[in-house]
Amino acid sequence: MKRNIYSWTVAVAALALLTTGLSLAGCSTPTSSSSSSAGAATSKKASLSNQSGATLWAQNCGHCHNIRSPDSLSDAQWDVVVLHMRVRANLTAEEHRQILAFLKSAH
Amino acid sequence: MKPKHLIIAVCMLATATLGANAQEQNANKEVITIPKEQYQKLLDEHQKLVDEMKEMRAFKAQMLESMKKPAASQAETEQALDDLEKQLKDVKKMAKDSFPGTSKFLLTGYGSAGFIEQNHGGDKLFSATFNPIFLWKMSDRLLFEGELEAELEGHETSLALEMAQISYVLNDYMTIGGGKFLNPMNYFVERQHMAWVNKLPDKPLTVYDGLLPEAEVGVQLRGGVPVGPTKFGYALFAANAPELRVDTASIGATDLGTLEFDNFDNVGKHVAFGGRVGFLPIPELEIGYGFQYSDVAPPGNGGGVKALLQSADFSYVRDSVLLKGILNLKAQWVWSRIGDLVYDPNGDLGGPFIFRNHRDGGYAQVAYRPSKLENPVLKNLEGVFRYDVFNQTGTQTGVDERRYTVGLNYWLGPSTVVKAAYEFDHQSGVNAEAHDGVLFQFATGF
Repeated sequence: MKRNIYSWTVAVAALALLTTGLSLAGCSTPTSSSSSSAGAATSKKASLSNQSGATLWAQNCGHCHNIRSPDSLSDAQWDVVVLHMRVRANLTAEEHRQILAFLKSAH
Repeated sequence: MKPKHLIIAVCMLATATLGANAQEQNANKEVITIPKEQYQKLLDEHQKLVDEMKEMRAFKAQMLESMKKPAASQAETEQALDDLEKQLKDVKKMAKDSFPGTSKFLLTGYGSAGFIEQNHGGDKLFSATFNPIFLWKMSDRLLFEGELEAELEGHETSLALEMAQISYVLNDYMTIGGGKFLNPMNYFVERQHMAWVNKLPDKPLTVYDGLLPEAEVGVQLRGGVPVGPTKFGYALFAANAPELRVDTASIGATDLGTLEFDNFDNVGKHVAFGGRVGFLPIPELEIGYGFQYSDVAPPGNGGGVKALLQSADFSYVRDSVLLKGILNLKAQWVWSRIGDLVYDPNGDLGGPFIFRNHRDGGYAQVAYRPSKLENPVLKNLEGVFRYDVFNQTGTQTGVDERRYTVGLNYWLGPSTVVKAAYEFDHQSGVNAEAHDGVLFQFATGF
């Protein structure tokens, strides 16, 4: 039992430590849909910034499945879906912002 | 003439001239005498005319003012119409966004209907699945994802919680999550297993209902990091460990030494650690490696039976003008290495059994859809070929399997597909039982 508790403690502690360290080290930018324009303004800083939202959308989504038309969902729905896919497909915040901005501007 | 006379003459002429002028001026200033009553009447009429003139001027000014007003009111009307149109647009958007599932909560998912007929006494049945996915964006950083799977297969209907995870975006490159989540180290499960995404009616051997868990219950840390023109995706997790199947009362001999991944009670009370790193040197290509390590010994066995599960995956998707369509290549290979143990020591199933509990296998798949052709039928067709391998003859399961599947899909929409496939199955080993079969599936994502 002690060994199991120890294992869980080590696991949680390691994750917590890693999370804290990387959070502090990482650059945190709000992912708000309302911050799309702000995100676009800072997009030049990102290494992938030369790729447009449309390209990122086609590449990231099309890697696993057929891409759906931007018209198929409302802005509010895309807000939810792109955050969902950010988690699932390991998108960066920059990719998230650019894809979302493209989807919203395309309908 | 004498000067004296000349002066007198000039004076007389001047006098006469002045006299004439004075007479003329007097004639111009001639005073007309009228009775006082008439004079007063004229004064009244004059005043009346002055008043009327004032009224006319006021009326004129009023008319001019009123002529100016229509232009101003037209501008005001246009502005009001613009405002109204904007308000209408906002109201429409609000109405659209307030539909159920369109604000912060979204109901999505997928479903399928299928049929399989296998030879040599295999399956012959219809099946149906319904996987609603509930997404709730609680804030820009907080997301809840839940998925249920209702499955009808034969005469049985099952309902399972596929996923229930809450995630928090820590920063631009990192998200932490907890709950029940799709196994991050299993590429097929995370990215490809959905019926409308998977290219064939059934799933590959080893990666689904095989050597890797489909879901984990625990916590995970994941994200993506761009490195120059390339990108890394990563996931680390700690979760309930699987349980080694040793209970001879509940399983057959062929299942001894396999892993029970749905170990939600965490019977053995072990923790599994794992993760995956994916590298994208170019956007079209991803190469990944995943692992999971844990003790899997059941209670009472004293622990010490370790399981190392590993997976290498490959994905290449190219939308090419030259190829006039989309080329989709997928491959994954899995290794399962479980420590030694004596199974069925009491001989309930004919034991004791001692075997090297190593298994491996994987699949390679190619799909091509000529999506850039003009023909409306051909552009929606997709050909698929998959080769599956499952090696476990050295274990108590005692079967190696090779499977070839050829499929043809027709896409009715971006997320709706009709699939047909034929499967050639080859098995070897003491428990071999191969079944060729024909499979159909109608799948849609919504």
